[in-house]
Amino acid sequence: MLEVRDMVCGYGGVTALHGISLEVKAGQLVALIGANGAGKSTTLRAISGLVPLRAGSIRFHGQDIGGVRPPRILAAGLAHCPEGRRVFPHMSVEENLDMGAYLRSDRSEVAADRDRIYSEFPRLAERRKQAAGTLSGGEQQMLAIGRALMSRPRLVMFDEPSLGLAPNIVERTFAIIRRIRDSGTTVLLVEQNAFAALDMCDYAFLLESGRIVLSGSGAELIANEHVRKAYLGG
Amino acid sequence: MSEFLQHLLNTLVLGGTYALLGIGLTLIFGIMNVVNFTHGILYTFGAYIMFIVVQKLELNFFLALPVAVISGWLLGALVELTLLRPFRGSDIDTTMLVMIGAWIAMQSATLWVWGGVAKSVPTPFPEAPLVLGPVSVSWLRLFVLAAAALLIVLTYVLINRTRLGCAMRATFQDHDTAALMGVNVDLVYTSTFAVGSSLAAAAGALLGPVYVVYPQMGDLAAVKAFAIVILGGLGNITGAVIGGFILALAEELGAGYVSSGYRDAMGFLIIIAVLIFRPTGLFPRAERVG
Repeated sequence: MLEVRDMVCGYGGVTALHGISLEVKAGQLVALIGANGAGKSTTLRAISGLVPLRAGSIRFHGQDIGGVRPPRILAAGLAHCPEGRRVFPHMSVEENLDMGAYLRSDRSEVAADRDRIYSEFPRLAERRKQAAGTLSGGEQQMLAIGRALMSRPRLVMFDEPSLGLAPNIVERTFAIIRRIRDSGTTVLLVEQNAFAALDMCDYAFLLESGRIVLSGSGAELIANEHVRKAYLGG
Repeated sequence: MSEFLQHLLNTLVLGGTYALLGIGLTLIFGIMNVVNFTHGILYTFGAYIMFIVVQKLELNFFLALPVAVISGWLLGALVELTLLRPFRGSDIDTTMLVMIGAWIAMQSATLWVWGGVAKSVPTPFPEAPLVLGPVSVSWLRLFVLAAAALLIVLTYVLINRTRLGCAMRATFQDHDTAALMGVNVDLVYTSTFAVGSSLAAAAGALLGPVYVVYPQMGDLAAVKAFAIVILGGLGNITGAVIGGFILALAEELGAGYVSSGYRDAMGFLIIIAVLIFRPTGLFPRAERVG
């Protein structure tokens, strides 16, 4: 479904990704793990068109989306839930969800999807008129996830959804992501919490200093000596 | 007392156009982070469009106003596409220098095309003012107030009720995330600059017939626009409206009770006072996000 080949990206004089390749098959939950600064976020930002490619190709659903602007990538069915939640702080919860459906013109269907998200996250329904900046971190994460789903994506990328959240909320966030995969939406998950990500994924890639150094099923990576030592605390 | 009431009435008329000037400038700074030195030129441009349409083409005065607004919109879009889009991602100093260059070039062009002699714009309004008890106001100034109020309301509707306005607000708060939602951020920037420019042109088109039209008229207007925006808080639209009326009041009272020579000094005094005592403006907007 998503195929990245030899992708090179950088900022100014710094090269962040040295030709990485990865593949996400339809219906899978694929994890991309690695340490801080390994290039995980850059990978997602390049796929969604925020960071220009220096070399390589990105194919999504047989379509070449390398170097394409973000709105067209979203229109192709690839949504990106960015790191740090990034809700629009001065907009209401409802306006944030509507921004997620910005490219859709089927108003009644959008309203139905919004109601589905409200029934999934009753806290958001209670606060629908409240400015998103006043929500708690966990509520903002639910809003960011809901907003990403409002475009009805075929594949959704989550960047560090557990970052800075209380343990019980982290648990809940991962359960929601599993449920998204189970409902038929393909997921690419970037996580620092390596064990949780490997435990729930169908396939995983390990990124180190801008290179993919290992890939395999979650169980294979959990069993791997290097992964155990460097990412799972022995 | 009647003198004071007269000053308040003048404040309303002047404040409306100042608010337009301020909204245009604050919108462009808030969304694009560009300090727009061509704002005063757009004001001058709007006044000259008024002059051309009414005096040279001898068309209807009320038709001339929308023509001026649309011309300002087009000129703004052109400036954004040719001068700002190539510098997207550059720091604020670079775009500031570009805009200063554009200001000088455009002002010289105004002088070249229309000459330095002040022009007056004929209006269809009766000479005799409307007398309301102790105060009086010319019909032209009443029209200016009504037109400015209408344009302010339209701008609010645009920003809070339309799809483009939603995209503008999202881009203002977090441009990367707005792009991830499918917003064409380039289009938002061009539209923002065009809308801001059309509001400056509208202010010039409204005040041009009240005073006279000449190439440097925009310089003072630009300083006033900056005073309004600094007073209202950078990027705050409601702040710009309130700031416009506060500046107008300060000018009226300064001219009426101190000396008429101090009218145009008020803008500078406000800038100095705000920067010393309240550098974020009276109504600071929460810091820029993203």
